[in-house]
Amino acid sequence: MKQAGSNTIFSLKNRLFRLKRDSNRWSIITLVVVFLIALPVISIAVKLFDGPGETWSHIVAHLLFQYVYNSFYLLVVCSVLVLLFGVTTSWLVSRFEFPFRKQLEWLLILPLAIPSYIVAYAYAGIFDYGGTLELIQRFMGLQFTRIDIMNRFGLAFVLSISLFPYVYVSSRAFFLNQANNLLEASRVLGVKEWNSFFKLILPLARPAIIAGLILVLMEVLNDYGAATYFGVSTFTTGIFRSWFSLEEPETAIYLSALLVLLVFALILFEKWQRRHIQFTNSKSGNKRIYRKKISKKMQLLILVMVSFPVLFGFLLPLAQLLYWGFLTYSAVFEYQFLLLSLQTFGIAFITATFTVIFATLLIFSAKWNKIGVIKNLSRLGVLGYAIPGAVVAIGVMIPTIFIDKWLIGTMHSIFSYTSGFLIHGTLIALVYAYVIRFLAVAYNPIESTTLKVSNTIPDASKTLGVGNFKTFFKIEFPLIKTGILSAFILVFIDVLKELPLTLILKPFHINTLAVKAFEYASDERVMEAAIPSLFIIFTATIPVIFLNRLLAKN
Amino acid sequence: MVRIESLSKSFDKGKTFALKDVSFSLKEGDVYAIVGESGSGKTTLIRLIAGLETPDSGFIELNGIQVSSIKKMVSPEKRNIGLVFQEYALFPHLSLLDNILYGISKLKNKKDRAQEVLELVGLAEMKDRYPHQLSGGQQQRVALARALAPKPSLLILDEPFSNLDSMLRSQLRNEVFDIIKKTGVTAIFVTHDTQDALSVADEILILQGGKLVQKDQAANLYTKPTSVYVASLFGNTIQLSKELQSVFECPLKTDCCHAIRNENIAINDECEYVTHATVLKKTFLGNDTQLLIKLDNGEHLTVITKHNNITERITIGFNSKDVLEFRE
Repeated sequence: MKQAGSNTIFSLKNRLFRLKRDSNRWSIITLVVVFLIALPVISIAVKLFDGPGETWSHIVAHLLFQYVYNSFYLLVVCSVLVLLFGVTTSWLVSRFEFPFRKQLEWLLILPLAIPSYIVAYAYAGIFDYGGTLELIQRFMGLQFTRIDIMNRFGLAFVLSISLFPYVYVSSRAFFLNQANNLLEASRVLGVKEWNSFFKLILPLARPAIIAGLILVLMEVLNDYGAATYFGVSTFTTGIFRSWFSLEEPETAIYLSALLVLLVFALILFEKWQRRHIQFTNSKSGNKRIYRKKISKKMQLLILVMVSFPVLFGFLLPLAQLLYWGFLTYSAVFEYQFLLLSLQTFGIAFITATFTVIFATLLIFSAKWNKIGVIKNLSRLGVLGYAIPGAVVAIGVMIPTIFIDKWLIGTMHSIFSYTSGFLIHGTLIALVYAYVIRFLAVAYNPIESTTLKVSNTIPDASKTLGVGNFKTFFKIEFPLIKTGILSAFILVFIDVLKELPLTLILKPFHINTLAVKAFEYASDERVMEAAIPSLFIIFTATIPVIFLNRLLAKN
Repeated sequence: MVRIESLSKSFDKGKTFALKDVSFSLKEGDVYAIVGESGSGKTTLIRLIAGLETPDSGFIELNGIQVSSIKKMVSPEKRNIGLVFQEYALFPHLSLLDNILYGISKLKNKKDRAQEVLELVGLAEMKDRYPHQLSGGQQQRVALARALAPKPSLLILDEPFSNLDSMLRSQLRNEVFDIIKKTGVTAIFVTHDTQDALSVADEILILQGGKLVQKDQAANLYTKPTSVYVASLFGNTIQLSKELQSVFECPLKTDCCHAIRNENIAINDECEYVTHATVLKKTFLGNDTQLLIKLDNGEHLTVITKHNNITERITIGFNSKDVLEFRE
């Protein structure tokens, strides 16, 4: 037998034979799913060739600088504030023992339950003329000194105080599980607490911290509700203005493309900053961090420091909303409102179901497909979360309108029946856009539970004569149930909170709680926004606590 | 019943090969051991046979039918191969009985068959327990029963005893292979432990660096290894360099390599080739004594002996029939 050299084994002909052998329906399904998810970005890219709209030159000359400046201002100031709130709190709760530490540890996550535009409404209400601050000052017999927060810095503060938990969560995970060995080593070497934190722990925690920070920055770029309420022009508000006020889709598309470039630059930066990091899975070596006992005075100081973000990110806005809610519930809370809530939960339920199905399909079809390139391509599916909601919405609108026009045309020519839009402006387009945007939210928990199941388990099933599909339902599904449930809950919450995408794509006769709150706020009836806002917050808080329990149990 | 022809597999597009140009065939009803260090390609080989990996070249035939080649893949679920995984891979959410029923759900008398294999492995009274309630040895036997239940035409065991401590190991090894012999199924088992292979396999395949270096019966591997590597798997050997050959005054062929097993070096002057040496160090090993000796040309050797009254000056030697010859 002649030795088959590496050259002949990897000749083009043999590669093609193997490609044909290895391609199966799962390869195709993976490609289709990835294509459907990438479609909005592809559409925007294609539409760029149509050229910009008439007002584009006007925008470039007069507004673009402002969009760029404000967006960068927000990115920079939010980074500083979010790192300040997130990293200090996570280090203090991980490293020191003090009263109410346990409660504060999860209270620090709760600001995530309040969408940042709702925090913005609450803050406006506190600091406005005739607002809560003025009432309190007058009540105490003080001179009213108004603090104006309806500006760039105010917006940056509001976004930071409501988004810092992303950094808190990611850095706390590192501090709890990885920092102990480092601390012990540095203590043996006689390094002071302060020094070992800045010279050792912080540099090593950097990838985890920045991963959280990037999530915050994406949310900052995604924000529409808070920026527009505070009157700060950003890329996202610019997209809305060109779409709705100027009615120039071409311009909105050009702005979207710029925003996507900015987001991709952030992602590349994140990848670059952890290029040298190897994830070591040291399960046995690392003990949980040992908490230091400190003096009563220090305990009090830390308690105050850690309570600050909870107070300003959660309790204060919540109190303001409860106050407003108390004033307005009789006017807002009526039959129509119940209907609206049901509608919102219905949409969230449908979306969460589809998103979980698509995420699971993507994970498993990529696994069952045997072509390496397609497997790698499937990772692109999670990029939807990076793309701001407004951009996803516009990206979804382009192909759906295109398909609708074609459908209407064909129906007209065949049945001489003129229909309205079939996809555009319907629930289908809205749910499709949600699925794209939130696929990563579902993908990550499902993938991580799937990775916990050893590959030999499905392999064993296959050697026992059971195919991929049946193996999934009989073996894998029962083993990854918790991941799927967490994914469902997370998407459900995100849909409740979502604003910009919903504003653009929601069907005419359908509303969500988030949109209702936004509409009240835009109509100068911000007090009435409290009830829908509180509904969102409570439905988002309950699952957060439930999820914490669920994950703690595993 | 299994025929493999120039099988290759690379996981990095040809930069390195996990398996390179491997060919052999296996007879029905025999028990084969695949021996090799970690990274020798043994797990890749059985995964290829089971259909869990796709080959880059070559083909696999089962019962005369091609199941894997560059153009064709019969999926693992259609191969009727039983596989016992190293970590057992029992379904954690299913009871012992359900684990076994899993592969035979289409069988008419599946309950009877499950009972049968459970009795075969001696776990019938535990059938309602879950995997986590069983000991390692019991899980091992469940995995075996589960793989045997669908009456596979070929049974593969991947490092079946590596997760067990050494006391349990030899006991379970005999139990498992008694069961396998009873069923008469053709079996392949993978191991890095030569003792496992020697004690139960009809034939042993030795893999090194992704290549099949020798396939033979245990006795032949011991007496006629084709490489130093194979020889070293069955005990320590001493390479007979040109210098050593002249010290022992044994003229050997010059186009070959030669070696002698440590245990074939005797301490007396009745051998064909002898020389004198000084004992530097004695290490008591229980049954034997290990000696570090210095030959008169200054070379150090380690030999094992059963003698216990060793003088400082000794005569050592070996016979020509024990000289191993390799073409390398």
